[in-house]
Amino acid sequence: MTNSTRTFRQQICVIASVCAMTLLTAPASFGQSVGLPAPRLLTTMPMGGTVGTETEITISGEHIEDADELYFSIPQITATRKLDASGKPEPNKYIVKIAADCPVGLCEARVMTRLGISSSRVFSVGTLSEVIQKNPNTALATAMELPVNSICNSVMTAKSIDYYSFEGKKGHRYVVDCACRGIDSKLEAVLIVADAEGRDLQVERRGGVVDFTAPADGKYVIKVHELTFKGGPAWYYRLALQELATDAVVTRLPSTSSVSSFSWPPQDAPAVALASETEPNGKSAEAQKITLPCDISGSFFPAADVDTFEFTAKKGEVWWIEVASERLGRPTDPAVLVQHVSGTGADEKLTDVAELSDIPSPVKTSSNGYAYDGPPYNAGSSDVMGKVEIQEDGTHRIQLTDLFGGTRSDDRNIYRLIVRKAAPDFAVVGWGLHMELRNGDRNALSKPLALRGGATMALEVVTVRRDGFDGEIELSMDGLPEGVTAQGLTIPAGKSRGIMLVTADQNAPRAIANVSFSGRAVINGQEVIHPCRMAAMAWPIPDAWHEIPSPRLVTDVPVSVSGSEFAPVTIVPAEKKVWEVTAGEKLTIPLTHIRRSEFSAATLQLKTFGEGFEQVPMFDVSLDTDASQAVLDLAALKTAPGDYRIAFYGGAVAKYRHRPDAVTAAEESHKKAEQAAADLAAELQKLTEQANAAAEEKKAESSMALEELTARHKAAVAAVAAAAEQVKAATEQAKPRDIVDIVVSEPITIRVNPAEAK
Amino acid sequence: MASINKRGFLCRRLCGWLVCITGLVLPVSGLPCISGAVYADEKHQPSDEGPPKSGSESAVSFVNDVVPVLTKFGCNTGVCHAKAGNGQNGFQLSLLGFEPQEDYEHLVKEGRGRRLFPASPENSLLLMKASGSIPHGGGKRLAPGDEGYQVLISWIQQGLRYDGDTAPALKSIDVRPARSSVPMNTEFQLSAIALYSDGTERDVTRLALYESNDKAMAEASGTGLVKILDVPGKVAVMVRYQGRVAVCNISVPLGAPVDVVPPSRNFIDDLVFANLKEIGVPPSPVCDDATFLRRVSLDIAGRLPTEEEAIAFFSSTDVDKRDQVIDTLLRSPEYADYFANKWTALLKNRRDDVSDTTSNFAFHAWVRDSMLSNKPYDQLVRELLAATGTVIGNPAVAWYKRVKEPKQQLEDVAQLFLGVRMQCAQCHHHPFERWSQDDYYSLAAFFSQVGRKPSATRGEDLIFHKRGVAGMANMKTGVVLKPAALGDAIPTIAPDEDPRLRLADWMSSPNNPFFAKSLVNRYWKHFFQRGLIEPEDDIRDTNPPTNPELLAALEKHFISSGFDLKELVRVITRSNSYQLSSAPNQYNIADQQNYSRYYPRRLQAEVLLDSIDYLTGFQTDFGNLPVGTRAIALPDNSYNNSTPFLKVFGRPESESVCECERVQSSSLAQSLHLVNAADIKSRLAKPGGRADQLAKADQPMEKRVAEVYMAAFSREPRADELKVALDYLAEIGVDGEGKPLDPQRASQENFQDLVWALINSKEFLFNH
Repeated sequence: MTNSTRTFRQQICVIASVCAMTLLTAPASFGQSVGLPAPRLLTTMPMGGTVGTETEITISGEHIEDADELYFSIPQITATRKLDASGKPEPNKYIVKIAADCPVGLCEARVMTRLGISSSRVFSVGTLSEVIQKNPNTALATAMELPVNSICNSVMTAKSIDYYSFEGKKGHRYVVDCACRGIDSKLEAVLIVADAEGRDLQVERRGGVVDFTAPADGKYVIKVHELTFKGGPAWYYRLALQELATDAVVTRLPSTSSVSSFSWPPQDAPAVALASETEPNGKSAEAQKITLPCDISGSFFPAADVDTFEFTAKKGEVWWIEVASERLGRPTDPAVLVQHVSGTGADEKLTDVAELSDIPSPVKTSSNGYAYDGPPYNAGSSDVMGKVEIQEDGTHRIQLTDLFGGTRSDDRNIYRLIVRKAAPDFAVVGWGLHMELRNGDRNALSKPLALRGGATMALEVVTVRRDGFDGEIELSMDGLPEGVTAQGLTIPAGKSRGIMLVTADQNAPRAIANVSFSGRAVINGQEVIHPCRMAAMAWPIPDAWHEIPSPRLVTDVPVSVSGSEFAPVTIVPAEKKVWEVTAGEKLTIPLTHIRRSEFSAATLQLKTFGEGFEQVPMFDVSLDTDASQAVLDLAALKTAPGDYRIAFYGGAVAKYRHRPDAVTAAEESHKKAEQAAADLAAELQKLTEQANAAAEEKKAESSMALEELTARHKAAVAAVAAAAEQVKAATEQAKPRDIVDIVVSEPITIRVNPAEAK
Repeated sequence: MASINKRGFLCRRLCGWLVCITGLVLPVSGLPCISGAVYADEKHQPSDEGPPKSGSESAVSFVNDVVPVLTKFGCNTGVCHAKAGNGQNGFQLSLLGFEPQEDYEHLVKEGRGRRLFPASPENSLLLMKASGSIPHGGGKRLAPGDEGYQVLISWIQQGLRYDGDTAPALKSIDVRPARSSVPMNTEFQLSAIALYSDGTERDVTRLALYESNDKAMAEASGTGLVKILDVPGKVAVMVRYQGRVAVCNISVPLGAPVDVVPPSRNFIDDLVFANLKEIGVPPSPVCDDATFLRRVSLDIAGRLPTEEEAIAFFSSTDVDKRDQVIDTLLRSPEYADYFANKWTALLKNRRDDVSDTTSNFAFHAWVRDSMLSNKPYDQLVRELLAATGTVIGNPAVAWYKRVKEPKQQLEDVAQLFLGVRMQCAQCHHHPFERWSQDDYYSLAAFFSQVGRKPSATRGEDLIFHKRGVAGMANMKTGVVLKPAALGDAIPTIAPDEDPRLRLADWMSSPNNPFFAKSLVNRYWKHFFQRGLIEPEDDIRDTNPPTNPELLAALEKHFISSGFDLKELVRVITRSNSYQLSSAPNQYNIADQQNYSRYYPRRLQAEVLLDSIDYLTGFQTDFGNLPVGTRAIALPDNSYNNSTPFLKVFGRPESESVCECERVQSSSLAQSLHLVNAADIKSRLAKPGGRADQLAKADQPMEKRVAEVYMAAFSREPRADELKVALDYLAEIGVDGEGKPLDPQRASQENFQDLVWALINSKEFLFNH
């Protein structure tokens, strides 16, 4: 049998042929990229530190190779460059000092670069002792020992599982938490507590903690991996292991806030609700009696929880209901039903008065397709905010449910219900304006306020209006760096969107300042000012088809100027003045183009920002000339008399050259290296001749000197080669590349005067 | 495997011989001779009375005489003239005659009246076509002398009378006998009696339709003659007449002496062995430890036992060591992986686009974690049915990404969780079930308030309960129907209430006739290779279980355990019925449904790949997954493309809720793959792999052979096997030029050959 087996196996022809698999890989895209280079701080290691300590961190990012200062958004954290033995700063390394009075939580970290301030990366401050992952720990046998009550800063390896071990004691409670998405990481963490052999005991995949009570003394293993086993520098995490008392409440690691949360809380709302729900209150007969106004906290618990509140009201009363839950960071979708109750018992009749659900996004958000067709920042929420007009005297009920809560039993899904008389107000949030184009490149969404000289950057600002407020909202920015101005294009009455234009003079010096960005309105005769929150993307996304942007709120608004790089083109009105025109007439505004780059197209198509002027037909300006003009037909626009602020904008494809100055510098270095090498060569030649001619007793000495000089010459030759490589690299980098970016003109003020009566 | 057209596929399976709306044609029986028939009951010989008469003796009823003829001869089937199949050449009849009034209109009034010719009935187009007098795509269906032909011609002669309003309504049919014990290799005649609303009865034996639920056991002719073949057990013959069905349950005893059965370990043994005694099939003995360990490891954890596990098990003297192994396996993550693999395929966790990756991983993980934590089955189904939110927040939502439409949702839910196939009832009354279109749309109504909001991921929605009164319009009548669960009325559902939760409540009710039954039958099949009801997802009155008492007891046990899946596995695998040897005795080799022995089954694609990997010391690299990930832990079907082995051995593409999508049959491609495919060769020759290690091991050859046998079969080699192996290993092969190989290389190749030979053995390829 075996002989025949051997024969069979050796002789059998390959009938079952193996097909060569052709991998269909997407061709690399060599088309234009979107957005001029912007500095982006992408990782820090570690990602946090302990209060009252000093720690060394290493950073990485895009266009931060010349970074110097490392800034934090809270003053209790400071950083200095790490110096090497010779006293020179080590690249990308900093010593971070966290003061003893530093608040626990998150802050923003950024670096200042040649191009200005970078985008932010979250930095955590906690009380647990910090450790850093030791490599490799991607196998059970190499599991890293994790001390209890510590937090480990780690980076996930693709296609891997990270292993940690700890000693557990029977009956003791251990809580494993992992910060990842909440600290800007791309990691969707899976946490597993396993036995010493790696057999899974408890698993958590939905962003929660593993709350584990050890069944016996011994070694336990924590496994961490990405939900889809992705990995790399962007998939970092902080893994916390804590021992807690049985009855202790678990406090989660801090997390950034969603964009939607900018509209919470309402002005004057206390930090804690005035009352709380009382279960059972799910059925009509169990409705919790309340009086209006009210402020109640509760939770959507257990699954399919219905909370019912009963109140009396009179016909004609108007109440505003607001529910926060999603904006508190919970994955919920609250819904409110208000009904009038007539009759009792079997004769009870319920009449719908109002049905309230989502807070809609103030502007159309981006669809999930390839083309960019709106901002991927949803300022709306699945929370509730709406009006109830009482139609009849009598008893009413509010029924509050979670449309996402049918099967989930999670008492962390809390809510806050506020019913109030109208308190008109608003909240504003902004982000860097992206351009609408059919391109999957979303890198530019991760856009720091880093201005090139002569550039105007547009921020898109939207508002969520509260309790019927529909007045106009002025936008302003104070505390700007030298040479920077900011002018807001008002959010018009009844509208939701405005634009803030931030302009750097061509000669503005390198600078950074934390500015105060706010919205201002008059409500009931009183001026009301609210800070405008800024939103940003955690990561640049080169291909939106394969990655979903992850927006969040940032806690501060730093504005910076490069001081060494300039906008490809600046478009300004020929005169800095208020442009006056009579209603119904045409206004021609001469424009000046300050061109600093070549462009791939000869013309730039401009549209118009500014209330009442969005309908101005698109017009072309030449990128080959230094001047053009805009003609505004006020008759067609039907512009009413008044003052307006507008700007022109469009997308231009610049032939961008990255650091052409670096080529000159590299060439200079190369020349110097060549000269040094030549000098040494000459010296070597001379010394060689001297050595040959030296007396015998001097031979040894000459030989040593010759040897030393030969080594120096060899190093000099190597330096020449390295310098040549640098020239090559700098030249390559400085080759013109097509990059499309928004070009925004400086703001223009127009005064439309009334036409003379005929 | 060939791709499956879901609806067509299901319809084909559902409708059996029926010519279905998708146009799939299955043979319609003719009218075979009944000579030689043995009548189980003399009273139930087929009637010679001819077709039933209604009203007066001379008046032919359209409803009770004409339409049954059209049905009997296949005129109103999907591929012929049924409207549901678009009706050939414009002549449309209601499917299987469910709508007589419409049929009357079609016959008498349409086609410009030329279908029927009262002045010369035999020249009616209907009869000329049916008799083949003029060309007919459906061929010759009736001859002028046939009774059916005469019925039609009489009706035409009598003036095309429509009596739908006055004719007695058919209330039910009886089959006689309804239950019988019949020896093997005999024939007997069934009678079909129609019972009408006026209290009358008619023998409709010649007009009824017959079908056996197990054609390996019994064949039924078009005249009700049942031929019992040579397989003992239980078989049912379904009788259909004008939308009514009846079943004859037949017990076919072998009649062998059953003096000794293994001791009973639980109620399963009581009922399996009782059945074996009843039909006279003696069971095989309980299997040995090695067979048990390998079998139970493969069935619970989808893997071979390790050598260490095997040695520890054999050396244990604990009397309950088999129970201990079962519990250990149930606690293992591999149990969760293996059953998650089973469920996620049925729940269509399919990757069509790279954007599906996250949701597929999340969904698979949710099922896997549910298995690991032993989430009660009713809770698992509840979370799936009534899922809301985001995929990351609540991965069960991913099911709604795959199954988007309410009709699709109800059909999948009914088939998967209730074992009821509702597809037919979307367009017409189910041909051999009680489900009407109203039942279909009432069930769909539970899903009518599923709201969707777009998410940032293309093709993926957020799911929420959309407030409103749940309802779904009957496609035919237009009447909006409120939710009702397969005939059970559901109290009014408030607009604020998610109707899916009520459906979940109904399912998990202890009195639900389908939910627990469907699951225990499915799991029974997992361990015994054959369901108590076959197919496992086709539970209906006309497809009775082979051991109804056992099915009921399993159902009761499962419900009383709190829908505990692990407990169900435990009680099944602890039974001696499960632990019987697969080796047949002199009586039970033909047994295919009474569980008198273990029925061997080829390892599933994933299990086989993992087993080969284990035996060869190889780790298959599954694209983006960590090295060491086993095939049973793959999250979705996408790996079938990158690992051809899985495709060749029938891993499903997660397109269907039917377990039959997994191909368990053998094929030439499989044989060739195992014999000679490059991926098998690379496994055998892996540096550091088992063959390599054995070749280099500093151990006696006997021990090395024992190791590889233990890894492959969980047992030591027999003496004859050991001798053959040792002899072979002592050989020195030659290279291409005929020169002897160096000893090291020869040893490596010899061990590769040994492992290769074991892989290609039935003992390895099958769970036995």
